[in-house]
Amino acid sequence: MKRIYICEDSVDGIFTAIYLAWSSRYGHNNIKIEAKSKGGHYTNLELFSDYITVDTDYELALKVAKSIKEKISLDVYEILCRIALSNYEAKADLMYRFLILGFHLGPKVMECLSNEIVNQIFRINKNVNNEVHHMLGFVRFSQQENGLLTSVIHPKNNVISLITPHFVDRLPEEKFVIYDENRHLASLHIPSRPWVLLELSDLDKDIFKQFTYDEDSYQDLWKTFFQRISIKERENYKLQRNNLPLRFRKDMTEFQP
Amino acid sequence: MVIQEQMSIQKKLEILSDAAKYDVACTSSGVNRSGKGDGMGNSLACGICHSFSADGRCISLLKVLFTNECIFDCKYCANRSSNDVVRASFTPEEISELTMEFYRRNYIEGLFLSSGILISPNHTMELILEALRLLREVHHFNGYIHCKAIPGADPALIEVLGWYADRMSINLELPTAQSLRELAPHKNRKNILKPLRQIQLRREHTKDYLGLPGGKQSLAQFIPDYHSSNGTQLVRKVWSANAVVPDPQIQEILTSETRLSPYWNNPIMDRKYVPAGQSTQMIIGATKETDYQIMTVAETLYDNFDLKRVFYSAFMNVNQDSRLPDTSQGPPLLREHRLYQADWLLRFYGFEVKELLNEENPNFNVLLDPKCDWALRHLDLFPVEVNTANLSTLLRVPGIGTNSARRIIMARKSAKLEFNDLKKLGVVLKRALYFITCNGKMMYPIKIEEDFITRQLISSKDRLLKGIEPDITYKQLSLFDDVNFVLAQGNQIQLAKG
Ligand code: SF4
Repeated sequence: MKRIYICEDSVDGIFTAIYLAWSSRYGHNNIKIEAKSKGGHYTNLELFSDYITVDTDYELALKVAKSIKEKISLDVYEILCRIALSNYEAKADLMYRFLILGFHLGPKVMECLSNEIVNQIFRINKNVNNEVHHMLGFVRFSQQENGLLTSVIHPKNNVISLITPHFVDRLPEEKFVIYDENRHLASLHIPSRPWVLLELSDLDKDIFKQFTYDEDSYQDLWKTFFQRISIKERENYKLQRNNLPLRFRKDMTEFQP
Repeated sequence: MVIQEQMSIQKKLEILSDAAKYDVACTSSGVNRSGKGDGMGNSLACGICHSFSADGRCISLLKVLFTNECIFDCKYCANRSSNDVVRASFTPEEISELTMEFYRRNYIEGLFLSSGILISPNHTMELILEALRLLREVHHFNGYIHCKAIPGADPALIEVLGWYADRMSINLELPTAQSLRELAPHKNRKNILKPLRQIQLRREHTKDYLGLPGGKQSLAQFIPDYHSSNGTQLVRKVWSANAVVPDPQIQEILTSETRLSPYWNNPIMDRKYVPAGQSTQMIIGATKETDYQIMTVAETLYDNFDLKRVFYSAFMNVNQDSRLPDTSQGPPLLREHRLYQADWLLRFYGFEVKELLNEENPNFNVLLDPKCDWALRHLDLFPVEVNTANLSTLLRVPGIGTNSARRIIMARKSAKLEFNDLKKLGVVLKRALYFITCNGKMMYPIKIEEDFITRQLISSKDRLLKGIEPDITYKQLSLFDDVNFVLAQGNQIQLAKG
């Protein structure tokens, strides 16, 4: 009978499941790992399978992280973290399959681009990286009365922890919050302290409704600039849409009426 | 002057961003600088686009003119002194505050400051310098600054400015000295080339002087290894002050003993001098130069002035000046596009201008990109075997880009590559298939023949749109360079009458 490990949808959750699945010696082909997204619907309930619910265990996750870094490479470790944060449904099992190869081949596993599994990892990693890169530019802060900078985002992948360090480095003297409204995650930075990632309860979420997003005069200046900088004779909305997909625009100052 | 005192910052921004929109800049700067822990700002080598305007172009910098007042009268420019337009000027304080506040809100990556000439080149340069000084020393701004040097300004001012800016540019404006004389009578080419040279020399000088990491890099001669199959570096190979330069004026600037101005104690010692290097811009289609002339100038600038980028800007007759070409049908965007493609071939694909164009064939084909065009003229070099060809050979295959070429080299270490692998590696098979083999076999049995491949490469959609017969031959097609076409609105191409 097939064994299906159901784990939390997080880096540590997936790593824990990988540890348990691997050490069970049940045979790679008889095992499947599924990350359970919030709300907990299974991707596909299989009738004749054993379901094992995995409790995230940081010790075990750390062990997996350590052996990836030591036996494969730091690069591959970082790539797998990004895969774990992606919105690809079958990512947990893909990571497992990839690690079977990885522990066998070592650091050169990423070179095997013609291998289907490696190629998929490569593509998802690129996809997450692209969104991270997009978000670094497209995040917009609004200034609240007390000087706090706030930003609301709706990324496809769970990139908040990947983009926050960039803003911490860039705005060391600013107090700011970035809020992923779909995932109810917020990262908070207060000058000269390490930034933190918060999971917001339903109660806390309302805080973001109280913030204003049309307060300051710089928003108008920015909109003015945005409109004036375009060259009429070269207008090309298709190109604009390719470069800046519509899904980002609802969170961007210059596209607000 | 009185009017602008009363002008709101909103109004000034309207006028001065509108006036700056034709300048091209980009931040893929090669400068990686993390934050300092205080102040504000960092810089990423790959550049970040913060938005895209309605014309589809990237917005990454607050791109404004300091002033649109100008004592010069360049024919192609909306700010020329003979035009009756509303004039405005920022103050250095306004520029620095606008930059800081935009930057905090993550609207921009930094500032791109250009300017008309108010009172005199030196006066203007001093105002710009003050704006930059405020940003760096008062606001501790650590983000990206691109700044124009005003031709004709005192070398000492340019010297100081370079310590504050990441990138500097001086626009060449037009490819030849003669065109410049005709269209920009107050400018002269030497005044443009001299500061380029000054900044280049200072950059090299201070790299050694400061002993900063990466010191001698721009002098290093990257010779690509054409024989190695796994080389990953392919950078333009020439650096030579004694190269044969066709343009006597450029030759003169290069060989004359350009003395560095007296060495200043630079204001901020932990910065490099113009770390992102220099760029320049040429207007395309205002004067009669051919693509060959334009690309030769670009190549000279890359090889001898160590420029990071040359930008090409399709001419727009903003003043409806009857002495200049009419652009009511739209600016020559396709030509601009081809020049950029060729520019990439020079910088990243190991091509030289003389391989792409020559006196007899001085303009790019509008229907084929320069690489396809080159490949069709060199069919004897194809097909190449992807499992063994070296990097520089792969880079010359249409449909294979720098990324896919490197991926091929990586992936073939562990497996023999087949055609369906190539797709996964990002190769555009539709184009590449005529030029490659996998393990000795071509994808389909096709004969390598000019006319056949040409017809395949131009998609049927393009043919219909452009009214080209389906049985066109390469010879006929190569007559269709830009000179024989007018680019009408809606991207339709028609054969010019007469
Ligand atoms: S100097 Fe510059 S701003 Fe003045 S007219 Fe010439 S191009 Fe325009």
